[in-house]
Amino acid sequence: MINDVNLNYLSPEIAMVALAIIIILGDLVIKNRQLLTLITFAGLLVPVMLTINLWGTTGESFNGALVVDQFALFFKFLVMFAVFIVILSSQDYLHRFTRYTGEYYGLILLSAAGMMLVAGTRELISMYLALELTTFSIVALAAFLKTKESTESAIKYLVLSAVTSAVMLYGIVLVFGLTGSTHFHGIAEWIGNSNVSSTSLILDSGTLGDGAIGFIGFLFILAGFGFKVATVPFHMWVPDVYEGAPTPITAYLSVASKAAGFAILLRVLYEVFQPIQPDWQLLIAVLAVISMFTGNLLAIVQSNIKRLLGYSTIAHAGYILIGVTVGNTLGQSGVLFYLAVYTITNLGAFASVIVISNLTNSEKTSDFIGIGRVAIFPAIVLTIALISLTGAPPTAGFIGKVYLFNAAVQSDYTWLAIVGVVNSVISAYYYWKVIRIMYQSSGASTDTSGDPNGNRVSASMNISLGIALVGILILGIAPDWILGFVENAVAIVQTTYPTA
Amino acid sequence: MVTQTSLNYVPVVVAAIVSGTVLSLLFILAAVVAPKRRTMISAIPYESGIPPKGSTWKQINLRYYLFAVFFLVFDIEAVFLFPWALTYLGIGAIAFFEMVIFLGILFLGLVYAWKKGVLKWT
Amino acid sequence: MIDFMPNLNHFLTLSAILFTIGLFGALTKRNLIVILMSVEIMLNGINIALVAFANYTIVAISGHVFALFVITVAAAEVAIGLALIIAVFRTRDTIDLRNINLLKW
Repeated sequence: MINDVNLNYLSPEIAMVALAIIIILGDLVIKNRQLLTLITFAGLLVPVMLTINLWGTTGESFNGALVVDQFALFFKFLVMFAVFIVILSSQDYLHRFTRYTGEYYGLILLSAAGMMLVAGTRELISMYLALELTTFSIVALAAFLKTKESTESAIKYLVLSAVTSAVMLYGIVLVFGLTGSTHFHGIAEWIGNSNVSSTSLILDSGTLGDGAIGFIGFLFILAGFGFKVATVPFHMWVPDVYEGAPTPITAYLSVASKAAGFAILLRVLYEVFQPIQPDWQLLIAVLAVISMFTGNLLAIVQSNIKRLLGYSTIAHAGYILIGVTVGNTLGQSGVLFYLAVYTITNLGAFASVIVISNLTNSEKTSDFIGIGRVAIFPAIVLTIALISLTGAPPTAGFIGKVYLFNAAVQSDYTWLAIVGVVNSVISAYYYWKVIRIMYQSSGASTDTSGDPNGNRVSASMNISLGIALVGILILGIAPDWILGFVENAVAIVQTTYPTA
Repeated sequence: MVTQTSLNYVPVVVAAIVSGTVLSLLFILAAVVAPKRRTMISAIPYESGIPPKGSTWKQINLRYYLFAVFFLVFDIEAVFLFPWALTYLGIGAIAFFEMVIFLGILFLGLVYAWKKGVLKWT
Repeated sequence: MIDFMPNLNHFLTLSAILFTIGLFGALTKRNLIVILMSVEIMLNGINIALVAFANYTIVAISGHVFALFVITVAAAEVAIGLALIIAVFRTRDTIDLRNINLLKW
């Protein structure tokens, strides 16, 4: 039991944390920021290599707390890819807080380590710790600008996430107390054996039965996950934090944090609470519907681009929840594929927002008039990214949505697919509005040649824009290879770890 | 019920009743007996009989807060030493090295704070 | 002699009461420091439940360990929270949530 320690399985996370420590300490001695950035990129190769090294293996370590399978590895790659692009596209943003470059990179890496652990855990204690590691690092990052908006967004995120994670913790404790185990398989076994269901909520004696306590615990845990993935009842923080935080961090928060949230949501729902699936399936479906409508309808009235993208991520959490609701192999691989698509698309969108708002010195969509003629490449990337978020061919978003909606239709959730399509049409309206503004001929007033700082678009910025553009198009035109990955990933989860 | 381990709450209840009665009696007594007149002197906060100097709303140096946070973090991290101390003999050498790594990381945090100059008081 | 033996239910009730007090405080108070204190009360209530469960069920150890982790996480939360409160206070001279309202809609 004590010898069940396989550091090899933990090596990507160890490398990530070690890199973070090295960068933070290196910041003390290395005065050259470029060098620090280079070290970060070079160091990032180590966890990537170690993850590649683990590719294909399946196993458990740390007494079952840590699991390595294709599912976890997929999310680890996704997170590391997001980290790479985020650091790349931070380069035109860093001049706002040059003094803290090392801490900035270090905190990004630490929260990445947290997310990677979230994806690979099958035990409640380590799940809680990993989620908190993720959140705390991002809270500190959100406050990095030290402006009124930035600190406000950070404190809002901290308070709301502290309250939600306390609620989630209470749910965890209830489940632990009921089942006597913090391991996913132990809880699943207990649920499978105890035959709880919604019908046994109230005992004959009039007191709450085990089913009720378990279900309350389940709901509390679900609330915590809902906060992480930003579905509707727990979405209040999203627009504020997205607007106030530094833009690269907003991008990071919108993709990596959400991916980790969905990873653990899928794992908990389908490895632990599978036996009571009929009890929560409709609930998730309802969450999906209200998330889609709330996100899309509120996005229409937004004037700030980061806030608009924030509401759009709420809507996208709704689309992904369709796949979570359906839940068979098709639905789960739809979730994974959509997350990959969404990650690359949103990273592209935010990278171009960084460039464009550096040029215009504004994050208001109305100030983007005529930017399509000034900043040609960023505007093209933003256009393609917004088309992809809408879900129109030939972009990645189209394949992702088709895959998800197809999964819904196959499993008799046609109404969910219809709601999804209706919402895609609604979303087309506000995405299109942004695109149209960018290519309007500018009135002579808002001239953009003024700011000497913003006009320089660094090479790394262009690289990240290029990667995003190519990624969106490749996933849109030839998605077969990654579809193979994700089907493999969820297949392994379902066959290796059948729930009790 | 196991009477051996059962807790005897009678003294607690008695103490609570007695202290509650005495306290409320004192308050009632004070309210009845004490002079109601408000003067300048009676409005001054009581500081062991010495007349207070300056405003009580003194600003406290922000550096105290940094020290407080450092103390909090390092103090709480020590919580992991207790279970470790209880179990490491049973686990063996690996437990020792794990704790060394853990404390090493904490030490690096201290080095960071030190180099950033937050431990200097000027 | 009152023969009173506290059992699991007593601890769980205490835990639920503390958790509710904390939740109420966190949701209704306007001072950021009070909110952080309320969150601490919530976490401590949870800790009581954890230790009680660990003590009254067979699988003792994971509950105790979990409680230790929760204590550390709470400390980290307070450290970050205090740092942020200082940062907020520096930018706008208040830590009253009613005045921290730049971001809305």
